[in-house]
Amino acid sequence: MRYGRVAGVLLVICLSGIVDTVAADSMGHGQSSIQLENAWARRTPPMAHQEQGGHGGSALNSNNSAVYITVRNHGSEPDVLLSAATDAATTIRLDETVEKDGLMVMQPRPQFDVPAGGSLAMKPGSYHIMLLGLKRALNPGDVVHVTLIFQKAGEMFVDAPVK
Amino acid sequence: MRREYWRWVVVICCGMAAPMVWASAQFAGQALVPPPPPMDFMLQAADGSEFRLSQQRGKVVVLNFGYTFCPDVCPTTLAALSQVRTRLGAAAKRVQVVFITLDPERDTPERLGIYVKAFDPTFVALTGNAEHLAQVRNLYGVIAEKEMDAGISPEYLIAHSAYTYIIDLVGQLRLLFPFDMSIEEMSDDISQLMRG
Repeated sequence: MRYGRVAGVLLVICLSGIVDTVAADSMGHGQSSIQLENAWARRTPPMAHQEQGGHGGSALNSNNSAVYITVRNHGSEPDVLLSAATDAATTIRLDETVEKDGLMVMQPRPQFDVPAGGSLAMKPGSYHIMLLGLKRALNPGDVVHVTLIFQKAGEMFVDAPVK
Repeated sequence: MRREYWRWVVVICCGMAAPMVWASAQFAGQALVPPPPPMDFMLQAADGSEFRLSQQRGKVVVLNFGYTFCPDVCPTTLAALSQVRTRLGAAAKRVQVVFITLDPERDTPERLGIYVKAFDPTFVALTGNAEHLAQVRNLYGVIAEKEMDAGISPEYLIAHSAYTYIIDLVGQLRLLFPFDMSIEEMSDDISQLMRG
């Protein structure tokens, strides 16, 4: 009887975990006011990753891409995205595409601000998380695991499906 | 009474016709009026063949400059241009999208070919020697600058102008599409251009 109740509680915990992972997992400080939505990574054309036989990847056989996430802040205080990490690329960078004297420039940003009660929408031609030197091709159906570090919400994980 | 009725008919018809005339000359993209004389060039296609712009007469040529290591801007544009072709339906047969590399050092013909065909099998990618590529960039006023200090040495990114150049059926550069144009606006402009 008691085991049944424990199992029930565990089941509820597991299910809530599954529901959580649809949006994002928070390993942060308890209840997070940050919600991650619409995460996606751009697919890469079928370059020479496979042809290389899997040994590393010189610049010529590598590729770059980007991850886009909408970060929503339900809290009453602003938060800051400080950094991002992934196992899919050798370098990851918070970036904003800006137009400067007629040129589209990738501008590295030390942080992304997420206003209280507002959101930061990453999208092509704007804020994005740049993936440089991909370790594998990104094909539709794959996911890119991304870890985000927020000043207040702490560490959060998101799986960005490749589109 | 009858005369007054006709007066209103005339007023209403003029009112309806005016925006149609106005709309026929309106493009969402930046129109070049008058268009500059046709600017021809020849470069090497990814499949090794020679590509000459003047041989594309009868097609609207949609010209874009970029590089295959481009993380954000170029793939966004190429994906959008593929959707523009889809939206144009049968008329897309008379639209040729051409992607010219800004990075001939890393963009080998093979790499370029694979890259553009992943967006749309009808896309053509062009390269050439540095001098020829620079001449073509100058024709269209394209600026590109290597960013070596991007903190990702030995790799680099390229800051570049992100316009798409629209050349009409008789080889004249007619429109510039800025980066932020919607798929609907781009396809409407191209169909309008094809109607003449």
